[in-house]
Amino acid sequence: MPVLLVPAGSRAAAQAALDAGADAIYVGLKGFSRGGSRNELTAPELQDVLVAAHAQGRHVQAALNTIPRQAERRDLVEKVGELIGWGIDGVIVNDAGLVAELRSRYPRLGITASIGCVVMNEADVAFYRDLGADAVVLPGTLTPDEIAAFAQVPGVVIEVMVHMVDEFILLGRCWMPSYYQMNQALPAPLGSSGGRLLGSVKRGGAGVCFKICEQPWELYRGVRCVVTRLLPSRQISAINHLADLLNAGVDVIKLQGRSLAPDLVAPLVRRYRLAIDAWMAGEPLPAFAESCLEPSWTVMRR
Amino acid sequence: MAPAFELNTTISNLRDLTESDLSPYDAIYLGNITCRLYEGNLLEHLDDLREAIAILKGQGQKAYVSTYTTPRNNDLPQIQKVVAAAVEAGADAVEVHNLGVLKIVHEAHPDLAVHIGGFANVYTDVGAAVLKRYGAVRITPNYELSLEEIGEIQREVGLPMELLVHGKMPLGISDDCWLLEYEQTWGVPCPALCRQELFLKQGDWAMKSIGKGVLSGKDVCLLEHLRRLMTGGHACFRVEAASESPAYRLEIGRVYREALEAALSGSDGLKGQWWDTIRHHARIGLCNGFYFGTSGMAYHGVQSPGADAAEAQRSGVGQ
Repeated sequence: MPVLLVPAGSRAAAQAALDAGADAIYVGLKGFSRGGSRNELTAPELQDVLVAAHAQGRHVQAALNTIPRQAERRDLVEKVGELIGWGIDGVIVNDAGLVAELRSRYPRLGITASIGCVVMNEADVAFYRDLGADAVVLPGTLTPDEIAAFAQVPGVVIEVMVHMVDEFILLGRCWMPSYYQMNQALPAPLGSSGGRLLGSVKRGGAGVCFKICEQPWELYRGVRCVVTRLLPSRQISAINHLADLLNAGVDVIKLQGRSLAPDLVAPLVRRYRLAIDAWMAGEPLPAFAESCLEPSWTVMRR
Repeated sequence: MAPAFELNTTISNLRDLTESDLSPYDAIYLGNITCRLYEGNLLEHLDDLREAIAILKGQGQKAYVSTYTTPRNNDLPQIQKVVAAAVEAGADAVEVHNLGVLKIVHEAHPDLAVHIGGFANVYTDVGAAVLKRYGAVRITPNYELSLEEIGEIQREVGLPMELLVHGKMPLGISDDCWLLEYEQTWGVPCPALCRQELFLKQGDWAMKSIGKGVLSGKDVCLLEHLRRLMTGGHACFRVEAASESPAYRLEIGRVYREALEAALSGSDGLKGQWWDTIRHHARIGLCNGFYFGTSGMAYHGVQSPGADAAEAQRSGVGQ
């Protein structure tokens, strides 16, 4: 039975997702998640969300997808132990070494290899499974045929980010922003009030993605500027191709967007709930009016 | 007795190999890692790859064979052929950027020396330790790491770290080639498109586009810091020149060969003509990458040949 896994950047968004039919939600934890401090939950907020979700038989994952610096790794590993005590259902991490270390330290913990691990072929799937990942997240740019091959790899859950931004550079393979600029207002390091892991943009801690790939660039051919343009990127929504993905053996339908407000999360989740339920009932999936959502529904808003 | 250091560079195709004087280098990475369609890519032309390995061995140089950064399923069979050909032809190591490929290589050739490339995202000692179990004997850590962090990984894991000491630093890789949009407009078909001099600029910031890949516009330059690198226990140094001219490979390689030998003998002296050569080949300017914990385009050093006040301010560099 496919699982609908939905982002929540606040308690209100989590509640909206649960009310709209999410089987599971994933949240950021203050100080430990990519994307900066916005859209992360404090410890009490996460505990509230866990209670609310578990009361309805739903699961909660914590996106701990900052890659820590050497000295910070112990803090992250200890924090995971704390989360297990709170009843977390799984964590999402972004580094092969962390997958192996967490598996060794917490044998029963649910571990997902983040989309930042850049799993793009079936050998990648098997690699992360062998390290101890229970699940891998694939980008929605892969074809159903590719995903069907991945689903043949035994012993690992296949998640596909069906609603996401396909950026100019692959997620997990970009360090353009930090080439240009480091965050000038570095937050406090972990261990102090309001502290966080001091990672780079790729690592997701202190670094901020300046969205440079969404700004106009001048393209020079030799010494001549030939055009000023935006770099290619697009919002992907597989809502009208969901049956192909589910038939390919996808276990988890995942949506991107911890930045989405509750009033945007709810209709998005309802659409995917409707489509998944139709597929499970063996009925034709409803044809949605647009394959891409309205601009206001997209993470990039364009 | 093992040599005290290794200077290496990258060659994409047989033409670049035969047209370049690679005498300053101890070893060469063969193949273009960003795109299967790259002109004459050694990773697609196995006879050329075998010939390239034979040429290098005949010159007394080591031959390393690279593999693609982000292969999809339909790329894996070709990679398996490349690795088999590399082994058969006596390559000294293969370079792997993709962890699935690492698994495949290790299972098929458990005794083959594997170098981990910069796109493999080694950020931590535990990550490096995992890859060591899969046969890694050398690691290029992710370019975002500082020398301090790289040193910690080296000490914890006990593997040599390879450092890009000069050239345009990879900043990212895409699954698609956006330059194909310009085939008709410019009348330049693939694979000639990405061999042009193409830069993306925004204010004082520049990146070089090579189609699927994006490189720093400025050349990373660690000429002033070679003694520090050696004192820190580093001995594997790369001049990244896959997208450069034969003259670049030769002249920059000569500068670094001389400078490394000088550093090895304890000399801090920097010759003026070295800077002349480096400035001549640096189209946009020079930077230090992320080695000193600041933004990748900052330059640290007494010579400051590529720095300006705005950069220093932006990156928090106070010198």
